[in-house]
Amino acid sequence: MNRTTTWLGALVLALSISTSPACSKSAPSKPEPLKTLVVSKVSADLSKPDPDAAYWKDTPEGLVKMLAQPMIAPRPETTTTETIVVQAVHDGERAAFRLRWKDADKSEAGRLGEYSDGLALEFPVKDGPTPPVMMGGQGMPVHLFHWRAQYQRDEEQGKPTVKQLYPNQSVDMYPHEYKEAPGNPSAAEAFLPAVIEGNPQAYQKVSVDEILAEGYSTSSVVVGHGATAKGAWANGEWTLVIVRPLAIPGYSSLKLGAEGNVAFAVWQGGKGEVGSRKCVTMQWTPVRIQ
Amino acid sequence: MSKVKNWHLKREVEYPYDESRPKKQWAIIFDLNKCIACQTCTLACKTTWTSGKGQEYMFWNNVESKPYGGYPLAWDLRVLEKLGRQEWSEKGEYLGKTLIEASPAHERVLHFAPTDEDWMYPNVGEDDCAGAKVEGGGHIGALPHDKWFFYLPRTCAHCTYPACLAACPRKAIYKRPEDGIVLIDQTRCKGYGECVRACPYKKSMYNPHTRTSEKCVGCYPAVEQGIQPQCVVNCIGKIRVMGFVSPEGKARDDNPIDFLVHKLGLALPYYPQFGTEPNIYYIPPIHADREYLKQMFGPKVEAAIEKYKKLADDPVAHGLLCLIGSSDRIIHRFAVDKGVAAGFDEAGAEIVRVPVVEAVIERAAYDAKIGAIRNNTP
Repeated sequence: MNRTTTWLGALVLALSISTSPACSKSAPSKPEPLKTLVVSKVSADLSKPDPDAAYWKDTPEGLVKMLAQPMIAPRPETTTTETIVVQAVHDGERAAFRLRWKDADKSEAGRLGEYSDGLALEFPVKDGPTPPVMMGGQGMPVHLFHWRAQYQRDEEQGKPTVKQLYPNQSVDMYPHEYKEAPGNPSAAEAFLPAVIEGNPQAYQKVSVDEILAEGYSTSSVVVGHGATAKGAWANGEWTLVIVRPLAIPGYSSLKLGAEGNVAFAVWQGGKGEVGSRKCVTMQWTPVRIQ
Repeated sequence: MSKVKNWHLKREVEYPYDESRPKKQWAIIFDLNKCIACQTCTLACKTTWTSGKGQEYMFWNNVESKPYGGYPLAWDLRVLEKLGRQEWSEKGEYLGKTLIEASPAHERVLHFAPTDEDWMYPNVGEDDCAGAKVEGGGHIGALPHDKWFFYLPRTCAHCTYPACLAACPRKAIYKRPEDGIVLIDQTRCKGYGECVRACPYKKSMYNPHTRTSEKCVGCYPAVEQGIQPQCVVNCIGKIRVMGFVSPEGKARDDNPIDFLVHKLGLALPYYPQFGTEPNIYYIPPIHADREYLKQMFGPKVEAAIEKYKKLADDPVAHGLLCLIGSSDRIIHRFAVDKGVAAGFDEAGAEIVRVPVVEAVIERAAYDAKIGAIRNNTP
């Protein structure tokens, strides 16, 4: 009898450990498939994204399945990112999403044919029926937060110069640099079309781009609303935190006590993934802000 | 996938968008019998368009030696190899697949992706001779030569069905309806490099400084003013002419480009089997290996070469060749009459007039007017 009680007690203890969110740290490699992303409030300042913050240890992890983007060529031949592990918290003003996924190589792009690792969070802009999960649809826009390792390097170290990308290159001179007084870069850049046209790609980035889209081929970078991101790569795995304001009127808003939706996309730059060559979630994941 | 008419191949081809031909189609014709690879065109383009940061390696116009040259390295062989057999019917219909038709489902265009190293040797293979070992005392006595190479100047072909445009998932590439020039929208491009991969002629290039892709712009600011591109007007050999080519069936015999392409069949598109309907045309070199030329210019190459050999007997063709390089303006119409060739602009105004045969004037060696002996040293 005593032995049976002890055995039952151990079973109850084991079950309670495996289902307790507080103990997710004890089994970080086996998160449950994510059904609803519950975003709990934490009493911490989320203004700076921190992948190693203590509150992540008490936040449940959910597993999200990814698939090679199947709809539009060019696309990956095989699924390179099988799953991502997702957590989220909020501080009443901002929501922070922590994402982990396997990627054997850290890729920050720069030279021809080099592409950056990246991840994007996607949210519907309007309430009501959800837009098509892949890039939204006409009249059903989506709002994306697109982090790239390349953009993060820009933010941390400045936009790389040609000399940094190609240390052994040599050039006699850049004629446009002689047009104006030394120290004034305007003339040197004035004849670079992407610069003079104001293409955000040609300027130093912050870690995360905000994008609006209404279907395939329509995504456009928009002026940001203070979203931040910080990724760390170690031992073949990225751990990334993207922080966004909860409410961004006219774009996408996550409301306290309400349910919204989120979708994910991942790029492995080292495997040539860029643009439509990516792995995606095939359906919206409900998000509940608690 | 739409079915669009490709008159180079005499059949319909697959393309992701419907057929939408521009009002006029920008085109250049190059006479490969005259090119000496002086690279003046290359530098004219370089100093005009690509002297900025991130453009160090770019040559929107380049001249390479064939068969061994290629910028980027072996660009044509690496695509041809993937495409497999490329056969033509006796009536000149292409029986093989185009690069879009042969593409695997997860791609838009069958391609190879050039690396940094591939762009590093723009002059590789220069003057390397094919066919046989060049021995001391050797003699070349017949056409075609058993030892041969030729120079191939290349710009963007501003294709009717551009592979770059087909491949761009952002729809950042467009073809201008007014003149058919293909441009990359520098406000939309995000530097995915899909056009760099997809263009079979490898004329889209990635700029690592602006992080966008760039390409030959057809010198559109000049073209809009009725002036030919920099690479054309700076050609010291007068081997090239820019104008507008009509599709088959709509050609005008008094349009210089139509006359050489359609009426005479003298100028041929290069690698038409890629299926993009490229709009740079070449008068093939008469001395080079015919099988090689057939691979590059298609089945009409023999007829074009025979035509070229007899060109001096055709006063109109002779006159037109004299007009080429005689004006920096775009010649929309030409006429040859009584030994004089004239070119006219779009509005019909005459812009140039040249004799088909220059008058030969013989002077006495002693010039009494200045009291000195002249000599003929140029």
